[in-house]
Amino acid sequence: MNGNLTQPLGIGFPYIATLPADLYRPGLIDFVEITPETICRQRGTGTTAEIEIIPSQMNLARQTCGGLPIVVHGVELSIGSAHNWNDAYLKMLDEFQASWSFVWHSEHLGFQTIAGDDNSTLEIGVPLPLPATKEAIEVVASRSAAILERYRVPFLLENPAHYFSDFPSDPEIGGDIGLMRGVTEKSGCHILLDLHNLHCNAVNHGFDPFMAIDRMPLSRVMEIHIAGGSWRDGFWMDAHDGRVPGRVWELLEYALPLTPNTAGVVFELLDEHAVRLGAKAIEEELRRAREIWNLHWSN
Amino acid sequence: MALIDFQTALGRLVRVPDDKNPLRGLNLDTGERLYIEALKENAGFRFSVSIQRSWSIGRAAKSAHLTLSILPDNERRRLLDEWINSGAGTQSFYHAEADSFLDFIMGRLINPSHAHTVCQLEQATLRSSNGTNYFAAPDLFRLNSLECLLGRGRYAGLVRFYAEPGRLLDSLQKHEPIPPLSPEVMTMLFAPGLDQLFRPASIDEVNLWDRLDTPVAVGALLGEGHQQETFEILLNVGAVEYTT
Repeated sequence: MNGNLTQPLGIGFPYIATLPADLYRPGLIDFVEITPETICRQRGTGTTAEIEIIPSQMNLARQTCGGLPIVVHGVELSIGSAHNWNDAYLKMLDEFQASWSFVWHSEHLGFQTIAGDDNSTLEIGVPLPLPATKEAIEVVASRSAAILERYRVPFLLENPAHYFSDFPSDPEIGGDIGLMRGVTEKSGCHILLDLHNLHCNAVNHGFDPFMAIDRMPLSRVMEIHIAGGSWRDGFWMDAHDGRVPGRVWELLEYALPLTPNTAGVVFELLDEHAVRLGAKAIEEELRRAREIWNLHWSN
Repeated sequence: MALIDFQTALGRLVRVPDDKNPLRGLNLDTGERLYIEALKENAGFRFSVSIQRSWSIGRAAKSAHLTLSILPDNERRRLLDEWINSGAGTQSFYHAEADSFLDFIMGRLINPSHAHTVCQLEQATLRSSNGTNYFAAPDLFRLNSLECLLGRGRYAGLVRFYAEPGRLLDSLQKHEPIPPLSPEVMTMLFAPGLDQLFRPASIDEVNLWDRLDTPVAVGALLGEGHQQETFEILLNVGAVEYTT
């Protein structure tokens, strides 16, 4: 149900409808990471909201991806919201899986909704990190286990980038890594190790990202993200707006040999920056990722 | 600190930083309250708020792109600030908030004005295109009941132009001076059942639309001189709908 993959997928890239379809070709890309919300619309708001797949967008995505395998990378679940997670997202994902199967799916370890004064669901407007507490582990682990049971494919949680320097934690959990370790151990889910998020946190909070990797439950890592970012107001921001910084390439070279169950590396890019960056630059980043990937697998 | 109380406090502070009482109803002791208060002074918190604000403004701006483009910079900024300060702009699916944001803007624009027209146009386009996914022509048999209530179609709109529409939209696209307000009004009907979603509205249709600002019984409408044929035409394209 949630075991490791027997066959690594290779190098992946997000589905971005505004990019030329010929970018999604075998040889350059081995698999496609789809954020299903990008081909959906929401009907209604609050507790009555439904997330509907737009058939024409789904068809276009399938046509573009051709026969490439896909993985799902969701953004709307809010798995760590104590009051409730986003049931509408899961209903949509049920429908998605019934029509287009995915090898695994992933979400962000955080929360983005709270309960309103009338107990409705309020969107915060930005994802926020979880405190490293036993209660947070319980909430996320029980939901992750339920998701594994529901979809019967591996479920991965992504380490978030965040900008808070002083966040509550239980001493026995420690920090972000302890939180991730607790959730994976309790639920059986895997890790999507976002190296750019790790880089952001290392730059903004002043720690060594290589040492942080050493402390992670590395056998649980199944996917790695690399991405670009930029400076804003004195913070290195997880903007997904360009090429991968040199430090993140170094982290990839360091992490791959330590994570034997990594089945794919994805170069993440937001759609609003993809056209500006251009197909040529994207292909260069994908080729560089493949070189590192091939080197790792040849060893 | 209970997870739900911590998240509620933090979420409220990020959504509406000026919230006068963000800790209302939460089960926090003095130390926890002091921690949350101190968090507001944290540079990382302030940066997270600035990202939230920037994303929320971006989402709102996308949902009313054309309308905002016709407004002077200071007015555009004022409307966006007012909208975001109320805690809006947070929906990832920004289309879900677009209709309310356009309503919010429309209520603050001079009527008549080209800005008001463009706002009506953007809302009517949004509604009618959205409606193509859900609209099905209803059974006209129900019109035989004089008690049957009719209302404006939820996926429809009526737009009043105070200049030739093509000329107005062309000047907006090319960032050229917009034409002066004309005393002659051209009225366009938007509905999901129309070819290309819009067409000029007849006088009878405009009169019926204006009358239906709240639902009215078929018998009362007929008594006022509205025509059964107009009801049928507008029901068939989704410009009017049964409300019971």
